[in-house]
Amino acid sequence: MTRVTQATIPDRNFDDLVTPTRIHRSLYTSPELFNLEMERIWGQAWIFIGHTSQIPNTGDFFTTNINHNIPVVMVRDKTGEVHVLHNRCGHKGAKVVETRTGNVRGAFNCAYHGWRYRLDGSLLAIPNEAGYEDTGFDIDDRCNSMQRLAQVACYRGFVFATLSNKAPDLLTWMGGAKDCFDNLCDRSPEGEVEVAGGVLRYEHECNWKFILENLNDTMHPMVVHQSVVQAAKSYIATLPDDAAKQRSEAEIILPFGSSYTAFENSGITGFPYGHHYDGGKTSIHANYSVMPEYHAAMLAAYGEERTHDIYSFNTHNVLFYPSLTIKCAVQNIRVIRPISVDRFVVETWSFRLKGAPDEMLQRTLLYSRLINSSMGMVGPDDLEVYRRTQEGLASPSNDWVEFHRQYGKDQVFPDRVVGGGTSDLDMRTQYKAWKAYMEGSIFNGGAQ
Amino acid sequence: MISREVIEDFLYYEASLLDVPDLDTWMNLFTEDGYYWMPAAEAQRDPINHISHVYDDRVMMEIRRRNFVHPRAASKEFNIRCSHLIGNIRVMPAEPDAGTEIPTGAVRVTSNQHVVVWYRDEQRIYAYRGEHVLVAVEDSFNIMSKQVMLINPDAAQRSLTIYL
Repeated sequence: MTRVTQATIPDRNFDDLVTPTRIHRSLYTSPELFNLEMERIWGQAWIFIGHTSQIPNTGDFFTTNINHNIPVVMVRDKTGEVHVLHNRCGHKGAKVVETRTGNVRGAFNCAYHGWRYRLDGSLLAIPNEAGYEDTGFDIDDRCNSMQRLAQVACYRGFVFATLSNKAPDLLTWMGGAKDCFDNLCDRSPEGEVEVAGGVLRYEHECNWKFILENLNDTMHPMVVHQSVVQAAKSYIATLPDDAAKQRSEAEIILPFGSSYTAFENSGITGFPYGHHYDGGKTSIHANYSVMPEYHAAMLAAYGEERTHDIYSFNTHNVLFYPSLTIKCAVQNIRVIRPISVDRFVVETWSFRLKGAPDEMLQRTLLYSRLINSSMGMVGPDDLEVYRRTQEGLASPSNDWVEFHRQYGKDQVFPDRVVGGGTSDLDMRTQYKAWKAYMEGSIFNGGAQ
Repeated sequence: MISREVIEDFLYYEASLLDVPDLDTWMNLFTEDGYYWMPAAEAQRDPINHISHVYDDRVMMEIRRRNFVHPRAASKEFNIRCSHLIGNIRVMPAEPDAGTEIPTGAVRVTSNQHVVVWYRDEQRIYAYRGEHVLVAVEDSFNIMSKQVMLINPDAAQRSLTIYL
């Protein structure tokens, strides 16, 4: 079977751009490096595509790009299997599906010459097919189909795909970060989540890597977000006690002002392939009130001890490098898609915990709206400092961006690296992976 | 029925406060339980069980106002100025949504608003259908609700640090 072939990655080492404690500023400013990243990082890693709850019925589809420009479609066939296909007609190359979501009745139908495809991407029919007789055209050649991606896999409803047939299986690639998907889903009394309440899309006028670096940069919240914390704190203090207690906004916003000590104690854990999270035993989401009705449903489903264990694993941001970050305790995720060297889009999706009362989804949506919206209380200040960094790095005064904090103090275990919550361990983890992807060694031991 | 001219004067006044912007005075146009809502999807009816760009009551407006003038809010360091152009104003009796009480004499006003925003050395344009529910007080109105229905609510939006 013909597969989409991957460009051969030439040997080139990136020692001149990435060291264990710093990276060259061109990683954020060079269009050539951006194009290489799209081929070597986004073209090899498992990329988050969507969630099976978005396509419950036969023919339901969801479209996205797997990197900055390669269009794909996730679709459920009549046997219930979920496919991720290249959204490209096998004939002249037109995108076959144009809308973001919808349902295909029967077969995909190309708008240009009417070629039709089954829901698994195979070619079903060509109008006036007789014209191809004795021309050497092979209707069964997979290159004439809507081709499947090299690998597709699903874990607890989260669908990933990769353009590389060399990538290890999804669970191997996730490593210990997989626990975070388990924790997110186990927070449902039924052990399942579903996409709910719509999507926020937020354009960022800077390099895509800034948001990944910021997720577990715990030295910034008390600086970047001090204004909103102070604004909220000063006003809430003027409210009567019972009115203040009813405001979920307070427990969402105020922890962004947590101390260096609090963030230090939350810890950071890094994994092969660039994944990492901060928190675990505690995080800025650890002190949310537990809704009584939800707690009762959890106890009924899991019993006291297991429920306690599920609540006790409390991470802040988990990064599945490079395309997805999830918040288990909040039940939202952010999906990253680069556009160009200085532009990307973040999508915030919210999840319903099946079997939990509606108030849980409402709190998730409140969080997404307050924090992640383009009109939010936190997101615009983060983006502002990314943009200043993008603009500042045009300066030739210093070619390097450093990440020395607590270097040499990381505790190395066979499957993970653990360090203090304010360390730059997250930077070291992701740029080790960045280098291995770019050098072509990521699936030959370079991830370790 | 309240004349459209009086309504128009009020919408122009409200817009002039956002143009400056003068959030202190603007906020006080709202009733105590008033709210400002910018949905994130076309024809979105539910602000609680569906995501929105913003859904603020008076408490959130007050926190936002304090943040807006805070000396350490990086995204607010730039001068921001707006120009609202309002047209296609229509006035109709207000109909209560489920579970809400609308006082006698309240009106629902729809308008088309084009807003040019100057922010971060750049001009941008927004277009929306506005829906105000207004209640008469003395010689003016209070805003019970203001909905800002962007023509592109599901597009990737850029940072917006001011109410439209």
